Amino acid sequence: MLSVAAETPEILATVVIGLVLARSLGDYLARVFLSRPTLLDSVMTPVERWIFGILGVNQYHDMRWREYAAALLLLNGAAIAFVFFLLMDQGSLPWNALRAPGMSWDLALHTATSFATNTDFQHYTPESQVSLFAALLGLQMLMFLSASIGLVVVVAFTRGFIRRNGRIGNFWADVVKAITRVFLPLAFLAALIFVFLGVPQTLAQSAVITPLTGGAPQIVPLGPVGSWNGIELLGSNGGGYFSANMAHPFQNPSAVTNFLAILLMMAIPFGAPFMFAQMVRRKEEARPLFATVLVLFLVALLLFLYFESSNPFLAGTGVGQGGGYLNGVEDRFTLPESALFQVTSVYDNVGATSMSIGALTPGAQIVLFWGMFLQDAPGGVGTGFGVLLINVILAIFVGGLMVGRTPEYLGKKIGRDQMRWAAVTILSHPFMVLIPLAVAYVFGFATLSAGTGPHSFTVVLYEFTSESANNGSAMGPIADNTLFFNLTGTIIMLVGRFLPILAMLGIGGSLAGEDQLPPGPGTLKTDSATFTIYLILFMTVVTGLLFLPVLVMGPFSQGAMGG
Amino acid sequence: MQGTPSSSYGAKVSVRRRPHTSWAHAIASSLRKFHPREQVRNPIMFVVYVFFFFMLALTFVPELFPDIEGADHDSLYYLAITLILFATIWFANIAEAIAEAQAKAQADSLREIRGSLKARQLLPDGSVQWVSSGHLHPGDSVEVHPGEVVPLDGDVIQGGALIDESMMTGESEAVVRESGGDKTSVIGGSRVLQGVIRVRITAEPGAGFLDRMIKLVEGTTREKSPNEVALTILLAALSAVILVVIITLGYLLGFVYPNLLNIGTLIALSVCLLPTTIGGLLSAIGISGINRVGKANVVAKSGRAVEAAGDLDVLILDKTGTITVGNRLAVQFAPADDVDMTQLVKAAITSSALDDTPEGRSIIRLAALRKVLPDKVDREKVRFVPFTPERKMSGIVLADGTEFMKGSATAIEGYAGYLPPSLRNQVGEAARQGMTPLVVAVNRKVVGMVVLKDVIKPGIRDRIRELRLMGIRTVMCTGDNKITAAAIAQESGVNDFVAEAKPETKLSIIQNEKHYGHLVAMSGDGTNDAPALARADVGLAMNSGTSAAKEAANMVDLDSDPTKLIEIVSIGKQLLITRGALTTFSITNDVAKYFAIIPAIFVGFSGIAALNIMGLTNPGLAVLATLLFNAIAIPLLIPLAITGVSFHPATAVELLRRNLMIYGIGGLVSAFVGIKLIYLGLQYLMSNPAFISLVEAVRGVMGVL
Repeated sequence: MLSVAAETPEILATVVIGLVLARSLGDYLARVFLSRPTLLDSVMTPVERWIFGILGVNQYHDMRWREYAAALLLLNGAAIAFVFFLLMDQGSLPWNALRAPGMSWDLALHTATSFATNTDFQHYTPESQVSLFAALLGLQMLMFLSASIGLVVVVAFTRGFIRRNGRIGNFWADVVKAITRVFLPLAFLAALIFVFLGVPQTLAQSAVITPLTGGAPQIVPLGPVGSWNGIELLGSNGGGYFSANMAHPFQNPSAVTNFLAILLMMAIPFGAPFMFAQMVRRKEEARPLFATVLVLFLVALLLFLYFESSNPFLAGTGVGQGGGYLNGVEDRFTLPESALFQVTSVYDNVGATSMSIGALTPGAQIVLFWGMFLQDAPGGVGTGFGVLLINVILAIFVGGLMVGRTPEYLGKKIGRDQMRWAAVTILSHPFMVLIPLAVAYVFGFATLSAGTGPHSFTVVLYEFTSESANNGSAMGPIADNTLFFNLTGTIIMLVGRFLPILAMLGIGGSLAGEDQLPPGPGTLKTDSATFTIYLILFMTVVTGLLFLPVLVMGPFSQGAMGG
Repeated sequence: MQGTPSSSYGAKVSVRRRPHTSWAHAIASSLRKFHPREQVRNPIMFVVYVFFFFMLALTFVPELFPDIEGADHDSLYYLAITLILFATIWFANIAEAIAEAQAKAQADSLREIRGSLKARQLLPDGSVQWVSSGHLHPGDSVEVHPGEVVPLDGDVIQGGALIDESMMTGESEAVVRESGGDKTSVIGGSRVLQGVIRVRITAEPGAGFLDRMIKLVEGTTREKSPNEVALTILLAALSAVILVVIITLGYLLGFVYPNLLNIGTLIALSVCLLPTTIGGLLSAIGISGINRVGKANVVAKSGRAVEAAGDLDVLILDKTGTITVGNRLAVQFAPADDVDMTQLVKAAITSSALDDTPEGRSIIRLAALRKVLPDKVDREKVRFVPFTPERKMSGIVLADGTEFMKGSATAIEGYAGYLPPSLRNQVGEAARQGMTPLVVAVNRKVVGMVVLKDVIKPGIRDRIRELRLMGIRTVMCTGDNKITAAAIAQESGVNDFVAEAKPETKLSIIQNEKHYGHLVAMSGDGTNDAPALARADVGLAMNSGTSAAKEAANMVDLDSDPTKLIEIVSIGKQLLITRGALTTFSITNDVAKYFAIIPAIFVGFSGIAALNIMGLTNPGLAVLATLLFNAIAIPLLIPLAITGVSFHPATAVELLRRNLMIYGIGGLVSAFVGIKLIYLGLQYLMSNPAFISLVEAVRGVMGVL
């Protein structure tokens, strides 16, 4: 535990700086979506007008939720189709210096879906299987799009709490604003800093290097990594430009870029409660939500460090373990630095990796699983907070009954319509993890790709959990570029992404049609310690009930739980 | 049976027979509920029902399932699981049957009253003919004579009568119903004691007040309330997801750890995890909610109205009759400067000797407290000067010519020709505090004053405080002037008041409050209250009121007690709290159940001992103990479901904290303790030679089968 303790100030400082940035970003996001004046107005307002003109969109047309959802699905469908063909035909398209062949249809489908759903699960090797053209025009475009869509969904959901006319905003206006006001400028800024810190940014796709030690020249893949990094991390995408992702020295060359990466990942997910509270005009409501997310996150971080601080099998052997259990840790970083990166990445549903997850202790693996089961501590851009709000609605429904009133949140009654959609959300995640898992084992696909034994079970469980949570991190070893895993994965990611999104829009839309009740002393005060603790326990118990058996079969069975 | 039908307050004797539940009937009905048609109505228990038949087959004809059952088939273990599943379903049936039996008993006693009635119908040509009440329609007129029963709900159009409504309302006090005014409505089933009335029928046969009440308590009109529907959706989703967890676990175990797979254990696990506690008691909770309203002598027209009562945040209360006892009472004597107290008191009571108004009598009562009793007054020899609006004073003139007068300060000043300055100040002060000063004079000499005051009902302050604690704002409505109203408002603790209110004021208050999204309740009895009653979220009509009021309201109080609103709010809240508490209990129970069953499934896993915190070393017994606990929880909680969770007014956060501690943490702890105790009990039984031989005998019999 020695090295861990020594680095406590660094870790603590990173978290605190990340949270402070997230807070101000949350306020900024609220300004953007409340159409209040911001610094970028003079530049972006004409640009947006121009885009709306081309699209033929009336940005002031307020949509009901079905119209909003239809537009969202249409845009996603078109984007997936476009990238699908792009990846299949990349062999005959320009900017393909490393001669990546066109992808097989199932891999192309999986990859396009994966980036469109903000999952970024990669069944391919970026260095050799994607051309620069497909990466920039296809995958990077999807990274901007999926992040923006995640954000606008929660914005529309939030509007349900303040509107009374049944309308939740204009999808096209929201998406364009998310890109022009949030992701483009911030990713641009991030890219500049990454490049300044030594991350390559070039349209050259490789360099030929003769090793200093002599020998044959080597081809070293290169590319516009700085700009890729920005949106990969900020938009909770997580798909690496290189296969090794953030463990690759070109993507993450130093402790400083590692620090920047953590800030970028935390920024929007941790800022969401503040955006929400500003938008519903009840600033105090950020507190319980932010506290819930932070407690779950910090407990996870501490447990992860605890489980990684020593090898349980070496306990009592006298072997020194001052640096912790270093298996799977990229040795340019210390264990706490890697741990903070990895926990942030998985809990923010980014999915970028800087460690080898399969090499971690079972306890640390359970911690990562837990984050993906929860999906909202704090979860991906927008959707993570949306899942948290749905959990709040569920918790309030049960807790509100115990107070003796028809449950309500922020003055909106929680009734049949909201419960129906919330129920859909609780069903989708476990269904999408467990049913494919059983199918994979019953029909033998799992053992074919991952072998047998407790670890292989954990690997397959991780694959489906990561896809359903739209996380994108992966645990090896598994040969998952197969027809079964590509197709199953596509379905899981689509359902895992769009069913909760429909639920968020559906709940937002139904809330938007309701009257707002004034708060009174009889209303359950959500801005209270009691409610916050209750919410944390509620989410923990419900998640545990659903996933404990598979956790026991998977990582738990792999070894002792000692630290 | 005769009495003064004026005030609805004072001593009341309930004469209605309290119907009691027939247990034999409830048990029989609980067995009938094993019919699949009944079971399918409750999705959660239906799953248990299907599992029960599956386990039954697996126990006795394992050959049907060659894929899942091998040589390790333990029919005795399966038999135990099957029996516990049966008990689980049965217990849930019993809960519903008890609640229904209570409702049915109430309905039966009402039906007995209704019977089939004959009535004198007035034909358009003025003749009278006897018809059965079933042939009467709204608009028909009937004549009812003393000793006869009013056939259907209606309005008195001619005459007046003293009517006994005790069969319906439990009130032994007879009431007056007469044409014109606010007391025209009569209930079908009530009996005329004195006088002949003509009644215009307002209800269809079978749609009368009595019929509606019967239908509601019997449950024929009972539909799930919105909140119950929402909760059912949540529970169904939870059940679906638990089933998927268990089914996939079954397949995964089958392919990854085939030696650990035991179908009986998996079914036991799923039944344990399903929210059977709340699922089994949900309908009983709803039925009992309506029953409790019925027991409070209130007829609710829908379950929705009862739930809405829990949500109310504004109550509009009439001052007179609800907050105050209705009359001004003497509270204080204040003698003039040169007069001593006894002299004033004496003068005051003498002036009131023949005053039969409640105010006058209250002066005599107050004097009695000071041990001053009135002198004998010979009614024949004195002259009573009654109060008139013009004179504004009253009193008596004794045989010797002494005049004892009391009245308003202005009137007495006019009569005596002066008013002492100090007294004038006191009079002004009392008026400013909303009290009514009466100045007393003897032979035109002012001796002092008596202060009258609106007296609030005993206990009303506490109830209003409780309401405030629950977050309900009370608005007092009165025709009095602002000063008086403010004084009463302050004394009673209501949040707000509206003075100089006219009949239509209530409607505008309700509309205003609803505009701001509040849920409003009010009580009323007059025809001019009807629009407001209809507009209110909970409108409680007094049974003594007009048909129009009762028609517009969604609840009718048979006791005609406006403070009943407060009780209804508690019942509504109790209903919701009971649902929430048992849901929480079900969920936290599951945590403990996992800690019992997961180690039992994954026997031999390294580190699994860390999860076996209850130390249940025998996996089979651990599963049975958990399943048994799950079953027993239902009957143990039936009383809670039927009577409702006790409700103490408090703020929402306090209630959440309290109920989380009791039903959340309590559910967790009780499950840990309960499972461990049952496990120890089973372990003890299994070490008992007699029990073992019994088990072996059963095993032998089953082997033969």
